[in-house]
Amino acid sequence: MHRARTILTDPLVLAALSILVLLGLGEAVSPGFARGDQIVRLLTVSAILGIVAAGQSLVVIGGREGIDLSVGALISLGALLAGNVMSGQDGNILPAILVAGGVTFAIGIVSGLGVTVLRIPPLVMTLGMAGVVQGALIAMSRGTPSGNAAPTLMAFVNRPLVFGLPGILFVWALIALAMWFLLRRTTLGYAIYAMGSNERAAEFTGLPTRRLRTLLYGLSGMFAGIAGVCVIGYTGNSFISVGDQYVLPSIIAVVIGGISLAGGTGNYFGVVLGAIALTILQSVLTTLQLEFWGRQLIFGAVLLALMLLYGRTRQLRV
Amino acid sequence: MTQTPSAEPSPARALHAQGVTKRFGAITALSSGRISVGKGEIHALLGANGCGKSTLCKIIAGTVSRDGGTLEIDGRPADLKSPREAEALGVALFYQELSLVPQLSVADNIFLGHEPRNAAGFVDRRRLIADTEVLIARFSAVAGSGFAAGTNVSRLSPDQRQIVEILKVLARNPSIIIFDEATAALDKRQVDLFFSILRTLKAEGVAIIFISHRMDEVFEIADRITVMRNGETVAEYGAGEVDRDTVVHDMVGKLADHQREARPPRPAGETPRLVVSSVSGGRLRDVSFSVAPGEILGLGGLQGQGQSAILQGLFGAEPFARGEVSVDGRPVRLRRPADAIRAGLAYVSGDRGRDAALHGRSIFENIAAATLVSERRRFVWPSALKPRFEKAAAGLNTKYAGMEAPIGSLSGGNQQKIFIARWLATDASILLLDDPTKGIDLGAKGDFFELARDLAAKGTSIVFYASEDAELLGLCDRILVFNSGAVTAELSGDTRDAFHLTRAAYGETA
Repeated sequence: MHRARTILTDPLVLAALSILVLLGLGEAVSPGFARGDQIVRLLTVSAILGIVAAGQSLVVIGGREGIDLSVGALISLGALLAGNVMSGQDGNILPAILVAGGVTFAIGIVSGLGVTVLRIPPLVMTLGMAGVVQGALIAMSRGTPSGNAAPTLMAFVNRPLVFGLPGILFVWALIALAMWFLLRRTTLGYAIYAMGSNERAAEFTGLPTRRLRTLLYGLSGMFAGIAGVCVIGYTGNSFISVGDQYVLPSIIAVVIGGISLAGGTGNYFGVVLGAIALTILQSVLTTLQLEFWGRQLIFGAVLLALMLLYGRTRQLRV
Repeated sequence: MTQTPSAEPSPARALHAQGVTKRFGAITALSSGRISVGKGEIHALLGANGCGKSTLCKIIAGTVSRDGGTLEIDGRPADLKSPREAEALGVALFYQELSLVPQLSVADNIFLGHEPRNAAGFVDRRRLIADTEVLIARFSAVAGSGFAAGTNVSRLSPDQRQIVEILKVLARNPSIIIFDEATAALDKRQVDLFFSILRTLKAEGVAIIFISHRMDEVFEIADRITVMRNGETVAEYGAGEVDRDTVVHDMVGKLADHQREARPPRPAGETPRLVVSSVSGGRLRDVSFSVAPGEILGLGGLQGQGQSAILQGLFGAEPFARGEVSVDGRPVRLRRPADAIRAGLAYVSGDRGRDAALHGRSIFENIAAATLVSERRRFVWPSALKPRFEKAAAGLNTKYAGMEAPIGSLSGGNQQKIFIARWLATDASILLLDDPTKGIDLGAKGDFFELARDLAAKGTSIVFYASEDAELLGLCDRILVFNSGAVTAELSGDTRDAFHLTRAAYGETA
């Protein structure tokens, strides 16, 4: 009984089950929904969300109310920068990634310093940063889309590379491995959990918690910037609010993945499943021809329902 | 024992407590508490750490309920169920901790929760201000307050705040006031000011119970003295009819000179492992000492006299403002725990949940954190580290299900062993123990003392603060006794006994 309950409330099992149920539901509503090429398509979209959620995971695990609401604006910024650096030239792909990742990393570090040095609550700091970046984006682009993805990048994101899978899925798998290695095999990873679990105790073992926390926001910014490069690779060009739709889902994916918003627990594999489940849900809702507001409403409700579920089980587990 | 019968004429007695008992779980805090205070009398309550004086005061103030015994206030039996009931009978407890709200005015603070109301039930601002001004005027003769009812508390100096704290207590017009370590944060001038306030209250007929950590103060201000030991009132005197050493003997008792194991003297001319020179800052005033390799140095005295401040300062958690520290002859800068850890220092806190436990993480992770820092590792290979950690934990007799079990699955004592193992795995050369046995069971305490002796025998230097004097006397080679942030005595050899420890704890030098 107890065992059955633990398995059913295990975030990984729950996420995997919901993926299957949602696929079945999609297939029932619109035959062909769960076809192979469709699933690859869904995974490609999940990868972008999953990359954003990787940064979000780090910030949340690091604790002290960690959250990054600036990821949306930073995705948009990453896409815009990458598009302009590339200007449709294959030779500029690497510089585009470096510029997009570097600038968003730097902006994330600024948010991190606001949180650690000025002690501004993360929610406020990253929300404020989102506003600043969004404003700067409008000023920079004068509100019109600019920049083009290089053809190779578009092919890498959209066309099958090996085994019928696009390159972005392999990148995502590499990121997942890197996240596992970072969290389970490096001192930095152990420090992130320690800090999220009990910051004072972490300091008392000599860990430089301020520097670490600042770095986490930098990494979250960088992941958002990379996701921005993927977005422009997916769509070909970008518009200035392209990243907005990822903010709430990146947080929901983290929560579905079993990471407590209180910090100090969870891992990235759950988040991978969470990102996939959420993307399929979004697709099912689109197939049902639900308006944007309807999707938004259901997303919010899913997040709140998960908080209720996990909030309760955490107390049971102690 | 000098069991002086209470000779006070009973009509003048403001407070009489007799045979008061209190148990907390398996621990008897109070086996026979007695105190009798007359109106207009300043009564000092003395005793070593854990003798039950604070518990007795809390029972009188209604914050703790008694298990047995009698309590009379103004000659009538009182059965207090809450602080409110005690307050209604005129009992006030003055806390050492500052309890003021800086954003509010003096008047708002003084009447916080007791604001005068008008007919409509709203706060009557005019009366609030007027009542406060009366209070301030009453004490301006002695205190020269220099602030008004409307002044914001954030703009007051620390000693003015102390006056507001006292006015806050007086605003309830109490007939019995308990001052628990009210002078702990005050300098000499402020103590004089506080005493003149006490004398004014005494002249008004208020009964005062005064707990202090300074024998000088007790003999300066008190009319009568009650001494407690091991949860029991053992003596009562008029202040003029007793000398200080008699009082200390009463606090310590006869049994206290228990058998100590002989320790080999440290070799002469040995280079000290740790040298602390003239450190100050926070509560500390010019503290110097040194510790030899393999020595166990005890920090004694009443609670909160700077012992923890020294340890946290050495660990870089609350850095010293001034002074120097050197390890093995090399000066070290201790600005954060990482500095201390790399210099070979380790800190074990008595407050595990706050300072040590990585809640929800595995035992492995709880041990690993310090090793990763001290060895400047970048990568973690659990299979390489586990055998080391298991060895460190096994040395302490730790009972646990496995390195992957969550830390919360262990008892308090076993958790503390894990936090000690955390440092054993780093091969720290200096262990700073900050009341480490707080709240752990006797078996674990035994293991802990055995481990401390083993480590010392292998050359680890240990600086040990314990709130229980018996632990210090049983374990330490030397004991530094703290009072008000300074070292008042160093006990070793013949003076390393409970009598000298208690005497020095009350600020008596040599």
